[in-house]
Amino acid sequence: MRRRLARSLPRAALAVAGGSVLAFMVVPVLTVIPMSFSSSMTFELIPTVPGLTQYRRFFASPDWMQALGRSVQVAVGAMLVATVLGTLAALGLRRLATRSRRLLEAALIAPRIVPSVVFAVAAYYVFAAAGLVGTVAGLVLAHSVLAFPFVVVFVGSALHGLDPALEEASLSLGAGPVTTFARVTFPQIRLAVFGSALFAFNVSFDEVVVTLFISGVRAKTLPVKVWDAIFYEITPILPAISTVIIVASVAVLTPLLLVRRNTS
Amino acid sequence: MLLLGPPLAFLLVVFVVPLARVVWGSVFAPDFTLAFYERMWRTPVYGRVFWITFKISVLTTGFAALLGYPAAYFLATVTPRTRQLLLLCVIVPFFLSVLVRNYVWIVLLQRTGLVNRLLSDWGLIRTPLDLMYNELGVLIAMVNMLLPYMIFPVLSALLAIPPELRQASASLGAPPARTFWRVTLPLSMPGVAAGGLLVFIVSLGFFITPALLGGPKQMMVSNLIEFSVRQVLNWPFAFALANTLLIGTLLLYAIYIRALEGRMPRTAGLP
Repeated sequence: MRRRLARSLPRAALAVAGGSVLAFMVVPVLTVIPMSFSSSMTFELIPTVPGLTQYRRFFASPDWMQALGRSVQVAVGAMLVATVLGTLAALGLRRLATRSRRLLEAALIAPRIVPSVVFAVAAYYVFAAAGLVGTVAGLVLAHSVLAFPFVVVFVGSALHGLDPALEEASLSLGAGPVTTFARVTFPQIRLAVFGSALFAFNVSFDEVVVTLFISGVRAKTLPVKVWDAIFYEITPILPAISTVIIVASVAVLTPLLLVRRNTS
Repeated sequence: MLLLGPPLAFLLVVFVVPLARVVWGSVFAPDFTLAFYERMWRTPVYGRVFWITFKISVLTTGFAALLGYPAAYFLATVTPRTRQLLLLCVIVPFFLSVLVRNYVWIVLLQRTGLVNRLLSDWGLIRTPLDLMYNELGVLIAMVNMLLPYMIFPVLSALLAIPPELRQASASLGAPPARTFWRVTLPLSMPGVAAGGLLVFIVSLGFFITPALLGGPKQMMVSNLIEFSVRQVLNWPFAFALANTLLIGTLLLYAIYIRALEGRMPRTAGLP
């Protein structure tokens, strides 16, 4: 009995320690959800009278709706650009010899490694000269750069698992490279391509640092308006907006997690 | 090369050229000068910003290792099904808006926030604690956000250890604690090193957290860059700062790639 206790005690301690860390990672962000149902005009932690007041204020505000619409617009644009270019890059990388592939791959991932503010300053300076600051096009370009590495990695790892014999068979049977891609390669990496598209959407939808610099006053996205509101807004609308942003991310990424679970 | 052409051209124009402009602008204004770097190194205020950036990054890395290791170890001991489920706690927050997660910490840590409210309700404190606008607040939020970068490499290192090694150690008479210290921990150190380097690299460039949860004394290099550009419009000085941060980050990233070549899956710091 004592032996068994001695053996199970470290296990229990480990479960408590590990479980606490996992809880520390996920619980804090969830506390914003109950707060969002406050009906009061002042801040309260646990709503005394729960209601949808804050959500109504958010969805009825032309200002906030304009920012939300712009965020979606930019995210769809960045998703398309990053997914197409990232998939092309992943396909191209596969043809290279291992050494040059690894080098180029490390270079293509660089936009994730370069600190946001460094890229933000660089983009701000160059985009200002090109008249792209404060435009949706400028935001799409910058967000595409940031989402691009994820597509390269996701699609690249899907391609890694493919049997090249299938494509070789298709090519040797007389199908051109385009037909082979459309009929043989793409169906096998479809999930990774769509998954990384969703991920790219999310990267753009949540981006705030680069956007702060290049959105100017004319093209504020939802996160930039939230950033401003953190400093200036006193009414408790932010928990509701935060919840909307969380729900949007979860909705966009749930298919991705389901795919990941089925494949792993 | 036909396939790589468009993505490379895109990155060249939208990413490489702007960064090259930063490097160029930090030493040509318009004639060659190192005055901006000199100012950066000579002025004690700016030296302090670099020191704080380094210090906060080291502390964040240390705490992420201290908290992340037990979490990864726990995840390595449960069944694969449970692990898949528990990993959602690591993956899902990682995907959520960084801004929202920082905002939540403001709500929780401010003087009238949830943490202070609970502590005083339980009678543990009389006056609210200062949990933010200081180093503590920055560290809490940064560790919270960077833990996934630590947990994933450590977990994959732990799972890669053949169970036979532990069984051999146990059958040779080592108690579990000694097996952990002499077998499991040393063999998982590459994962800790990978995770630590990754956390440190990402920490160096942090901007949102020190801006929202730090006070004036927690200004990090990224915040100083933003201040130089948006408040005082000193572009060449901001370029010099940005270039220094860029070179430091890229050097560490190169070390990360070289040291872990082939040993860790390359995932752009993604789970």
